[in-house]
Amino acid sequence: MTTEDMATETEADDDTDSLVTSDPGKGGLSENDDRGTVMAADTIVESRDLDVFYGETQALQNIDLAIPENQVTAMIGPSGCGKSTFLRCINRMNDLIDICRVDGELTFNGKNVYDEDVDPVALRRRIGMVFQHPNPFPKSIYDNVAYGLRTQDKTENMDAVIEESLKKAALWDEVKDQLDKSALNLSGGQQQRLCIARAIAVDPEVILMDEPASALDPIATSKIEDLIEELAEEYTVVIVTHNMQQAARISDKTAVFLTGGELVEFDDTDKIFENPESQRVEDYITGKFG
Amino acid sequence: MATRSESGFGEVSRLRGIVFKYLTFGASLVGILALGVLLAYVFWDALGLESAGTAWYLTYTVTLLAPLLGFLAYARDKPEVTAGAIELVGFTLAGGTLSFAAIIVLIVIAGPGVWVTYFLTVVAPVIGLFLYGQYEREATWVGLAMLGTLVVGPIVGTLGLGAISTVAALLGAPGVYFLSLVVPGAGLAAFLAADRFDASRRVALGVAVGLLVLAIVGVPVVDTVPIVARSVWFAVLVMLGLPVGFAVTNTARQPARRAAFALPAIAIGGFLVGEFVVGAIGATQPSPWLDWQFLTSPTSSLPADAGLYPAVIGSVFLIILVSIFTFVFGVGTAVYLEEYAPSSGLLGTVTRLINVNISNLAGVPSVVYGLLGLGIFVNINIQFGPVVYAGIGAGTVLTAAMTLSLLILPIVVISAQEAVRSVPDSLRQASYGMGATRWQTIRNVVLPRSLPGILTGTILALGRAIGETAPLIMIGAVATKYNPPSGLFDTLTAMPLQIYTWAFLPSEEFRYGVVAAGVVTLLIVLLSMNSVAILVRNKYQQETY
Ligand SMILES: Nc1ncnc2c1ncn2[C@@H]1O[C@H](COP(=O)(O)OP(=O)(O)OP(=O)(O)O)[C@@H](O)[C@H]1O
Ligand SMILES: [Mg+2]
Repeated sequence: MTTEDMATETEADDDTDSLVTSDPGKGGLSENDDRGTVMAADTIVESRDLDVFYGETQALQNIDLAIPENQVTAMIGPSGCGKSTFLRCINRMNDLIDICRVDGELTFNGKNVYDEDVDPVALRRRIGMVFQHPNPFPKSIYDNVAYGLRTQDKTENMDAVIEESLKKAALWDEVKDQLDKSALNLSGGQQQRLCIARAIAVDPEVILMDEPASALDPIATSKIEDLIEELAEEYTVVIVTHNMQQAARISDKTAVFLTGGELVEFDDTDKIFENPESQRVEDYITGKFG
Repeated sequence: MATRSESGFGEVSRLRGIVFKYLTFGASLVGILALGVLLAYVFWDALGLESAGTAWYLTYTVTLLAPLLGFLAYARDKPEVTAGAIELVGFTLAGGTLSFAAIIVLIVIAGPGVWVTYFLTVVAPVIGLFLYGQYEREATWVGLAMLGTLVVGPIVGTLGLGAISTVAALLGAPGVYFLSLVVPGAGLAAFLAADRFDASRRVALGVAVGLLVLAIVGVPVVDTVPIVARSVWFAVLVMLGLPVGFAVTNTARQPARRAAFALPAIAIGGFLVGEFVVGAIGATQPSPWLDWQFLTSPTSSLPADAGLYPAVIGSVFLIILVSIFTFVFGVGTAVYLEEYAPSSGLLGTVTRLINVNISNLAGVPSVVYGLLGLGIFVNINIQFGPVVYAGIGAGTVLTAAMTLSLLILPIVVISAQEAVRSVPDSLRQASYGMGATRWQTIRNVVLPRSLPGILTGTILALGRAIGETAPLIMIGAVATKYNPPSGLFDTLTAMPLQIYTWAFLPSEEFRYGVVAAGVVTLLIVLLSMNSVAILVRNKYQQETY
């Protein structure tokens, strides 16, 4: 884990500049990924001066945030402060909401994803997403994991890829004998792990998780937490959570959003939880303010 | 110091709920009773049950009715047996409908020359591609190739019609139907045996060869029945034999379901025994209006000779065309309006306006659609440069089919929209989140999920179309026709039209007996058509869990 201070509210501009110039060669989304050659703490997703509006109301204000590669970044904050909105900006799922408007810049591997020439479908193939509520397709378990592979024409060795993804998601042992059964017969926790398997099967670079454990019991939650830590070896994980302990346990970096859609503090998780700069953050974390 | 009632918790009044429950019960009772009376009334007349003697009733009560009721009582609390019985009856009905449709479309309307041409250029390649697509799931070009075949195939077929028909004529009609129906049917049977019932290769091959042998061995037997042609035998063998064989095998291999075989056994056995007893004791039989003669002859001035044959063929022809038109245009419109059309801004207002208009169109009386059909398909003569469009003829099959399609299109669109809208947004998001395009999302998530709902709406709408009289009168369909239509531009008569005409004839036998027979035929055709659609719907409901 890196110790350098990145993008706290006041220092954001200086740091982010240097972060961008560190990998200027990376460009369009159509290029092959060269992830293996990048060092562990490079920035992969970065927002600069990001504003998001739903119709007239502003949901996010001036967000500057640099998400490091191959680490777990947690986002915490009270309900309605815009965490999900930020997450949806990263893979442009906000495009599906008619009234949503995004201003400012959000780069992925140095390329602004809101540029005209970026194909949101191509972007989403490199940035996977797991939703707050498990949403498996009403198809078989096998077909659920195969869905992304089929839509993205990655059907070589499909059986092996599916087995591996289910193993990574810690679900294989529970479902290996019923791959052709409906995914809807699984329990909520199993469904959520299936959704994670589905997301990692297509081998994205970043995985966005919106409160993936909010509907799960402690055992399923801890399985998912283990999984996230494992995933961080290969993938960049951005996770929204309402659970402070969870954020403290699994993340390397933590971003705290507060009501009104502002990013109050972004730093190493240890620092945020032990010695936050902002009094409001401390109040929020200790439960004095929600 | 809260005051507590003596009797523990006290009681919450349910009075309003109970009153409401019995009100709804009463309403449904009235509806069911009215329907029951209507059915009993027409069946009574159509089957001529009035003239049957007491002995006849007694015999059939003992041999048929009592055992059937006994079976129902036995199967009441055995879901597996009930499911088996429903499957047996459903597949038989569906098979009957399929063979009926095949005889009408392939043999009566198209004839061997036309059929074999389009079989070679369209049907066979499309089915082949479909099967390949099922087998090789990852071949994404298959869908496009099917679409291409559907466009190019008919053109090639039309060009080669003369040549292929000549070759087909050398084979003879039975030969054509043997090669185009029985041989693929044998392949299908072998595939089903191996795929669904895990039969070994030898058994599957045996099934296929058995079907072929049965087809040929049956020919001499068929030749002894004067009204059945060899072509008809081949069509029925495949279209009825395969579904029935499938249902029988499926039931036989599940021990819990085997008792379901009692139903067909009781029905057939009871009928045969009853027939024998009635003959032996010389009981007076009913003299039904609805008999084989009624179904196979055209109308006549004598009630006893009158029949519904041209109208049945006309109606089935119509319903096939209408279902194709409405399904393609209705589902297309619904998917566009729900998934693609802009929902905000100025264009969103236009979309909303269109939606409101479609709802209004669904309520427009059918005469108005008749008028519309008359205006745009019959009484018209416009010139676009060198091209003159003078309509597609008064009372032709195509005019009638397009008019009826316009009539039910709004209903189909609305119900399909409802079905598409009922697909949860979270599934669409899941699909987009996986990097699927809009087309992939619609194709793989939205359509499979909404198909059962779309089919339900289409079935209901088609039921309305098949019973319409007014628009047919408006576009000039003739009431009295002695031959069935044999092409799109042939004039036709349809069942409701023919029944309507009979209902105003002076002879009482026409007004009661013949009309009732016609109504019962209409109901049976409607019911068997629905049974096919319901089977298709259930299959999709199972597939999407
Ligand atoms: N589709 C939408 N249309 C209009 N407003 C929206 C929409 N989605 C979110 N908002 C608004 O944007 C603000 C931020 O919402 P968001 O869902 O990002 O909050 P959140 O931090 O994820 O909250 P939670 O923790 O409850 O999930 C809220 O005020 C919400 O009302
Ligand atoms: Mg949220």
